[in-house]
Amino acid sequence: MSEAVNLPRLMKCFAAVFPNLSEESIQLATPTTVPNWDSLASITLINVIEEEFAIEIDPEDIEHLVSFEKVLNYVSTKKPALQ
Amino acid sequence: MKLIEALNLISQDRDGAPLAVGLACGFTPLHLQTFLHAELQQLFQDRSIEIVTGLYGDVAGTLKETKGRNLDAVAVALEWEDLDPRLGIRQLGGWRVSSIEDILEASKLRLSLLERLLIEVSFTCPVVISLPTLPLPPVFVNVGWQGGGSELLLRGQLASFVSSLALQPRIRFVNEQRLHSASPFSTRLNVKSDWASGFPYNIPHASALAAMMARLVQNPPSKKGLITDLDNTLWSGIVGEVGPEGVSWDLDHKSQAHGLYQQFLRLLSEEGVLVGVASKNDPAVVNEAFKRGDLLLSAESVFPMEVSWGSKASAVSRILSVWNIAASAVVFVDDSPLELAEVKTSHPDIECLLFKVDEPQAAYEQLFYLRDLFGKSFISQEDEIRLASIRQSATINAVAGDEEGFSEELLEKADAELVFSLRKDANDTRAFELINKTNQFNLNGRRVTEAAWLKSLGDSDRFLLTASYSDRFGVLGKIAVISGSRNSVALSIDSWVMSCRAFARRIEHQCLNFLFKKFGVDRIGFDYQSTDRNGPLTSFFQNSLQQTPAPQFEISKEQFARVSPKLFHRTREAE
Repeated sequence: MSEAVNLPRLMKCFAAVFPNLSEESIQLATPTTVPNWDSLASITLINVIEEEFAIEIDPEDIEHLVSFEKVLNYVSTKKPALQ
Repeated sequence: MKLIEALNLISQDRDGAPLAVGLACGFTPLHLQTFLHAELQQLFQDRSIEIVTGLYGDVAGTLKETKGRNLDAVAVALEWEDLDPRLGIRQLGGWRVSSIEDILEASKLRLSLLERLLIEVSFTCPVVISLPTLPLPPVFVNVGWQGGGSELLLRGQLASFVSSLALQPRIRFVNEQRLHSASPFSTRLNVKSDWASGFPYNIPHASALAAMMARLVQNPPSKKGLITDLDNTLWSGIVGEVGPEGVSWDLDHKSQAHGLYQQFLRLLSEEGVLVGVASKNDPAVVNEAFKRGDLLLSAESVFPMEVSWGSKASAVSRILSVWNIAASAVVFVDDSPLELAEVKTSHPDIECLLFKVDEPQAAYEQLFYLRDLFGKSFISQEDEIRLASIRQSATINAVAGDEEGFSEELLEKADAELVFSLRKDANDTRAFELINKTNQFNLNGRRVTEAAWLKSLGDSDRFLLTASYSDRFGVLGKIAVISGSRNSVALSIDSWVMSCRAFARRIEHQCLNFLFKKFGVDRIGFDYQSTDRNGPLTSFFQNSLQQTPAPQFEISKEQFARVSPKLFHRTREAE
């Protein structure tokens, strides 16, 4: 599915895990710019994304998903696996 | 609930009074904490929820910590590794044949410690427990399809643990059968998540478990009465057409659903639920049908029996009047959507259920739904005498005729006795129940959590008065509760409730009389609040005490003596 379609869905996921971020901040989010992006938040974010996009994220991929942009690219290349 | 929904729910700011719930689990609480928070927020919308968690791998330590934390409830999610870490899959090196006996010994000791701690915590607030929900690891020697000796011994230890805790009044267990329906056993464990973060649950399982735990924390009051139709509901067939011998409720007549329903209503009646009948029928024919010896619900278990050709809504109104309870506490069951719609239109707060005559599975499952509406943890003495006292009230009302209230003569000859008690009994669930269920004679409509109730009982500056009533017409049991604080010259009452079954007997006057005498005070203050439903209490102050109550007001001893009517009860204080 295209990034244009996935963008608002991913924004919802980030907004749920980091409710204090503005829309602009979400699109620039990285663990450096978001103080609350710790290991537990990362797990929650991954689980929310898996649920929203019906995909399963490989554990070895998680360490590379360190910005909103990278996550957006990643989910746009994955095919739903859980439906 | 989806995880994103739970996160969105808990991220909204709430201004309400805090509701602090401890979550004790040996694993990383992660999404269980999120879901529990969200589910509680849905159930307690006017409260600000706080979930307090403990240390990883240390349920016992977390329970010890909770004791000093002033929590409103504690939820405990046990898993096998809480009984012994070798029963988990994160710790290595423990799976040895030689270790099995030691695992059993260790789990026995751990369960014994947990049992003691859980009872201690339950003295301060309600405790909700989920027993291990995940599969045991393949640590025991038997094949997977065989229940092996060691595994059965372990499960036996758990059963013993449950049986000793289940009798505690404030300990409630998650129902495993219901959890199996909501979260199939084979889909619960998430090994990847357990190894990555120490959180062993798949998200749907965490959601299902949290929903059940939250409901147990809430422990909502059950419905009080059920009004049932007869034809094609209590029995199969139309009694006016086929006659009393023609209706059925058994396997032979393919009408077993009606038999189960009768049996279930009998059970509810024995539990103290009021069961009434609203039926469009000839009373004489119905009377004959109820004489059948094989009917599982006897006429004695039903009151009142409203059988006529008039409207169902009117029949329901009359039943509600006799029961003197709110429509919101009642369920109406009928096989006719039209009748249900008519009753719902007249009584919007009543819960109307369609009896599913031709759907055996649905008819059976409906019993579980009814069980949820009427379920309770314990049957109290008041539950056992409720129907009898409603009948007695109807009798005394009939004797009184159409007069408002009872005549002086009737009250004088009623041979009424009031027994007062100032004993603060934490296990007296009736007093707590009355405060949280009573609407009409209620000083301010305020409800209390079990934790707040227990804390109040432990406060030496506060008093608790309960009153039990009986007269020559029968026993009403414990019907009034007054709670407040005192100083040398005055009492301050912030909670006063009285069962509607006890109205018009001047019990409220006698309660105040007792308080003035017992405490030797000159004034009693009331923390009054008008509510949508406490008209009877407001009328008491307006009529008997000639005072329109303000939010905070006082009555002096002299003022009360001037307006109090003659009281005929014999009174005594319980030892």
